[in-house]
Amino acid sequence: MNSAQEAQAAQLPRRIIKETQRLLSEPAPGISASPSEDNLRYFNVMILGPSQSPYEGGVFKLELFLPEDYPMAPPKVRFLTKIYHPNVDKLGRICLDILKDKWSPALQIRTVLLSIQALLSAPNPDDPLADNVAQHWKSDEPGAIRTARDWTLRFAQS
Amino acid sequence: MSDSEEYASGSLMEDEEEEEQESASDQEKDFGLDNSVTVSKKPAYRILKGETLEERRKQALEEVTGVLGITEEDAARLLRRFKWDVTRVHEEWFSNYDAVRASVGLQDEAPVPSTSQATCMICFESYPTDQMYSASCRHLFCHDCWQGYTSTAIADGPACLDLRCPDPKCTACVPTSIIKRTAPPEALAKYQSFCVRSFVEDNRSLVWCVGRGCECAVECCVDRTADEALDVICSSCGATFCFNCKEEAHRPVSCEWVRKWAIKNSAESENVHWIIANTKPCPRCSRPIEKNQGCMHMTCSQCRFEFCWLCQGDWKEHGDRTGGFFNCNRYDAAKRKGDYDEETRKRDNAKQSLERYMHYFERWDAHQKARNKAKADQARISADWLERLSEQTKTPSSQLKFIMDAWSQIIECRRVLSWTYTYGYYALEDMDHKASSTKEGNSSAEENQRFFFEFLQADAERSLERLHEAAEVQLKKVMENNSTAQGNGAPLDLDSFMAFRTHLIGLTDVTRGYFEKLVRQLEKGFEDLERDFGGGSAEEAALIETTL
Ligand SMILES: [Zn+2]
Ligand SMILES: [Zn+2]
Ligand SMILES: [Zn+2]
Ligand SMILES: [Zn+2]
Ligand SMILES: [Zn+2]
Ligand SMILES: [Zn+2]
Repeated sequence: MNSAQEAQAAQLPRRIIKETQRLLSEPAPGISASPSEDNLRYFNVMILGPSQSPYEGGVFKLELFLPEDYPMAPPKVRFLTKIYHPNVDKLGRICLDILKDKWSPALQIRTVLLSIQALLSAPNPDDPLADNVAQHWKSDEPGAIRTARDWTLRFAQS
Repeated sequence: MSDSEEYASGSLMEDEEEEEQESASDQEKDFGLDNSVTVSKKPAYRILKGETLEERRKQALEEVTGVLGITEEDAARLLRRFKWDVTRVHEEWFSNYDAVRASVGLQDEAPVPSTSQATCMICFESYPTDQMYSASCRHLFCHDCWQGYTSTAIADGPACLDLRCPDPKCTACVPTSIIKRTAPPEALAKYQSFCVRSFVEDNRSLVWCVGRGCECAVECCVDRTADEALDVICSSCGATFCFNCKEEAHRPVSCEWVRKWAIKNSAESENVHWIIANTKPCPRCSRPIEKNQGCMHMTCSQCRFEFCWLCQGDWKEHGDRTGGFFNCNRYDAAKRKGDYDEETRKRDNAKQSLERYMHYFERWDAHQKARNKAKADQARISADWLERLSEQTKTPSSQLKFIMDAWSQIIECRRVLSWTYTYGYYALEDMDHKASSTKEGNSSAEENQRFFFEFLQADAERSLERLHEAAEVQLKKVMENNSTAQGNGAPLDLDSFMAFRTHLIGLTDVTRGYFEKLVRQLEKGFEDLERDFGGGSAEEAALIETTL
């Protein structure tokens, strides 16, 4: 931490500092998250596409922001890398219950990112955010998986 | 006792106080009578005021705490879960004890942790355990985190009544004691109001009155199938609305038709139909062009392009070669091949259904407007005339209630009449379509149904006009005659006033009875119309004649 970050950190709730330290010291497998230089509530996130999923071999960038009332309110997370997934829309927004009504202040950044990783392994076309993608998934799953793999190759290479 | 009987026997000079008491009870009686749909005359609904609601809520809680031997707080959880149906709570509790308890988050107390220090899993700080709280699960959190948790949940709305432990894997309900201990005063007040409001909002047989600022609730006292309409008048604020869909009262039309009608009336959807039926886009600039009569020669008002309505080709290429200016054979040739048929047929159908809709809509709309006008007139008469009349007749204005009753009846009749057009629009839909699109047309039974429906409507309109005339023109006459003959403020000719009074009360009663019968008849369904109402209407008409 540089001195500017240290000054910022003094303003930050201890919970956020502890979460950040733990994310950096014991990262979850396939996930990295590091706070931005100028805003310690903003995280640059990378998730590796899980094996045996159409996202395998891809590196997906996300942004994660902790709002003022975190942890009472959930973090805001968004994909920055283009991804073909029935629960992610064109803007990268994610349909995940724990990011909305199932949020609990006892959940953490780590649990959120692990849940997103799990969502890549198990897309849920019955709870869609991207309607046409979900339709594709339901009507022609092998075709949709091919498109997802294709997008992974085109957009998610580091 | 009906209004007319009571007034006919009572003296005009009664003590004001006594009269007011009577009119209050009279009103209640009227609402009961007006709205009972059952033969037993049991009221279909009741208006419950704030105190009564609170009593009823307490009573329901007591019935559960008493029988199940649980706290009031837990009883409230169960009652909310089962829509405040006490019997159902009793049944479920004894037949599905474990599942029911789990569903509302009731758990056996977990053992108290032996450690004196624990980490709060929200802020990650360590605290002495005696400064932390938990639900029965013993997941401990610190005071500040509980405060954030409960106030956030309360700000999110009534779902906070079913708040669970912050631990994401735990379903234990958060006891009210924690909420009381941690929520800030404003949030706590909101929480308590949610508790009270739940008795109405989560209750299958209760709804709030829709009147602005009115704090009454309406209780439905009859068996109602899902989505069945029930018109309600709030005796406290006068609001009229449907118990089921909360829209304006709409007997004899079903809630479903009211919903469909509202969508239908949204101007946008019908404009689209109109444009389809009457216009074509200019082949050059796409501006919608309305067809004028007969002539196929169109000129676009925007780009001045001249084209043929039938084939949409350039008009310059028309003339003798295409079979003359009034008969485009390019179109005829295409029509023979069948290219245009589908489009033309669609256009004709759209036009026909639009005209049919306009017929019903215009009449529905006219009565809605007349109803609003009658409301304004009633308010004006109440404000401008009643006091003067009361002075002239030396009668307390509460005694002149019969004039307001007549106007209330007019407003109600306009409402019913207006909905009969929505009724007709849907009930006659198939019949109208059959009449216009098939060679056979309607059967004689169908013709009769339509005839009686339209006859009833016309009859109802006539009886309403009579009442309206009396309440407006004749009332004015009574007042004017008096002021020209004897000067303003002079005592009124009491005999002629009493005659007018009897007349108006009688007319109001007859009209009310007639409209009630009409509504019940239409609700019974269209097929019964001819059989049940065929002879009745003449009788009714005769009754109106005799009262006049
Ligand atoms: Zn805490
Ligand atoms: Zn718990
Ligand atoms: Zn009311
Ligand atoms: Zn309704
Ligand atoms: Zn044009
Ligand atoms: Zn032509």
